[in-house]
Amino acid sequence: MNGRTRRIELPADLSGPVHCSIDGELKQIDVHLLEPGVLSLVINGHAYRCILDEGPAGRAVLLDGKRFVYALDDPRSLRSRRGAAADAGGPRPIKAPMPGRVVRILASAGDVVEAQQGILVIEAMKMQNEMKSPKTGRVVRIAVAVGDTVQAGQVLAVID
Amino acid sequence: MPIKSTQSAVKVRPIRKVLIANRGEIALRILRACREKGIATVAVYSDADRAALHVLHADEAYRLGPAPARESYLRGGLILEIARKTGTDAIHPGYGFLSENADFAEACEKAGVIFIGPPASAMRKLGSKTMARQAADAAGMPRVPGSVKGLASIEEAHTVARQIGYPVMLKAAAGGGGKGMRAVTADSELAEAYTSASSEAERAFGSGEIYLEKLILQPRHIEIQLIADHHGHCLYLGERECSVQRRHQKVIEEAPSAVVGEELRRRMGEAAVKLALGAGYTNAGTIEFLLDAEENFYFLEMNTRLQVEHPVTELITGLDLVHLQLAIAEGRPLPIAQKDVHLRGHAIECRIYAEDPDNNFFPSPGLITKLIQPGGPGLREDCAVYEGWRVPLDYDPMLSKLIAYAPTREMAIDRMLCALEEYVIGGIATNINFFRRILTDPDFRSAKIDTGYLDRLLAKPQATEAGAEAVPIAALAAALFEAAAAPATSTSVVSAYGSEWKTAARKESLRE
Repeated sequence: MNGRTRRIELPADLSGPVHCSIDGELKQIDVHLLEPGVLSLVINGHAYRCILDEGPAGRAVLLDGKRFVYALDDPRSLRSRRGAAADAGGPRPIKAPMPGRVVRILASAGDVVEAQQGILVIEAMKMQNEMKSPKTGRVVRIAVAVGDTVQAGQVLAVID
Repeated sequence: MPIKSTQSAVKVRPIRKVLIANRGEIALRILRACREKGIATVAVYSDADRAALHVLHADEAYRLGPAPARESYLRGGLILEIARKTGTDAIHPGYGFLSENADFAEACEKAGVIFIGPPASAMRKLGSKTMARQAADAAGMPRVPGSVKGLASIEEAHTVARQIGYPVMLKAAAGGGGKGMRAVTADSELAEAYTSASSEAERAFGSGEIYLEKLILQPRHIEIQLIADHHGHCLYLGERECSVQRRHQKVIEEAPSAVVGEELRRRMGEAAVKLALGAGYTNAGTIEFLLDAEENFYFLEMNTRLQVEHPVTELITGLDLVHLQLAIAEGRPLPIAQKDVHLRGHAIECRIYAEDPDNNFFPSPGLITKLIQPGGPGLREDCAVYEGWRVPLDYDPMLSKLIAYAPTREMAIDRMLCALEEYVIGGIATNINFFRRILTDPDFRSAKIDTGYLDRLLAKPQATEAGAEAVPIAALAAALFEAAAAPATSTSVVSAYGSEWKTAARKESLRE
């Protein structure tokens, strides 16, 4: 949580009372998978309802009305660290945060723009949302045209 | 309850089939009321809504066209044609879309189809802001004092501001969205504010025209529900408080208001009834007011339709507004009189939106992968989504209205908090967790709210949520979900972003 990695060890058979280890601490847990994505845990008499939330933004566990976003991590993989390093400098894409339609384009390739300057406007669900430049720099390209339908995560423009 | 019968020329015309010219939860809510009364239902739908619940539950269903509203739910001509073809007696417009379109109401009247709402003439008188202001003035309804027309000069601004007294608000005549608006507290600030507001308005709307209104400090949004029949009866069904708003969009509504007593309710109700009767208004309608700290109320506008937040009124009055709408449309007199309207308990409604509070409230259409709805006494949910439904991006982001009803306001808030904790909508971002922040806020709980309340709450730094003890449990659950979803093997490692399973180590590690 908050960048912390936890090590979980699970036995092969995952139904009924099982022993699991969380960060080396052994716990006896009664596990019941009600349906895919809905889990009941009873630990020392405490009951927990855990729900798996899978969406385009990633995976999370819902527990006690709170949301715990997680990513599975293979300690041998350096992919995540490389991803983080790429964020520091160089060209930065502006990606659509949700599906929608491009209604206005406010900058052209070659323009010098300020950080937080509006680059284009996406409309979804009757709301217009201005996509802002993530940094001060130059517009490398605008990847969409007015009227285009875009998907969540699609690159709209690149700023360098 | 038996009613006093009035001599009236209005003939009762039974409604046997209703076309519902809407979608989403309101279409379903109206459809259910019709079914309860044994009335046949006709649904209409766009291409995005073929698999929507209102289509599933209707007796008949007809396609309107592609997803955009202009090409589907706003096609009044086509909707009337379907009504004729299907032998429909009446059209219920719901809210939004064609509900406040006087031309459509008139077209229905001409075609001999009952429009379940006010007559086109009353809609024209009360639905447009400028016409409604005139009607309000004529009915002696208090309005926010100010210049009715645009100001010609800074000198005129000074004159008007001194007349009505500071503080005042400058507003762009062509405006909206806060552009060209300036609050002015003293004469000395006026000239500069006028110039900057005017040039901002010029840039935003192409017109620098500015008008001026008295600034109501920390106003509450209070609205009166009206219901009127064709026999000259009009009742007020108490008030709703809708002060919790973001960008002029209501987020939480409740009834009754914590600050409206019997005397104020009667004064506001009677003023609202007078305005409606004067305009020949019938069916359900709502008059919106601003209320200041001294219990002065000011006319804002009238909504000539059933409102989104009507359930809170239904719960505290024990009435069913859609049933009443249908009976009124048939020409029947109201089954109750004003003295029979009693308010009981407290109701709160949360509008569940497909939007992401952690990301600037961006809309989040998409596939609902999991839906677990709350239960228990005193809960009502008006909802039209289901697991496997793809929320289209073409319409309003409202998914559902969750309503809690209890004997007191405090109990209703606590009931709502528990319900929200049970509620799960997976796959898309929603504002479910955001309500917790409001409902646990001391100011909200003590009803210290006004239309600026939510903006102030959002500006406060968010307290880091307690629940650290839940983290290991959540991490464990995540590991169990991954293990359950993967091929049965005890020796697996899940890699970070590729999520392919490897059969090397015995351990899974999770980064949350």
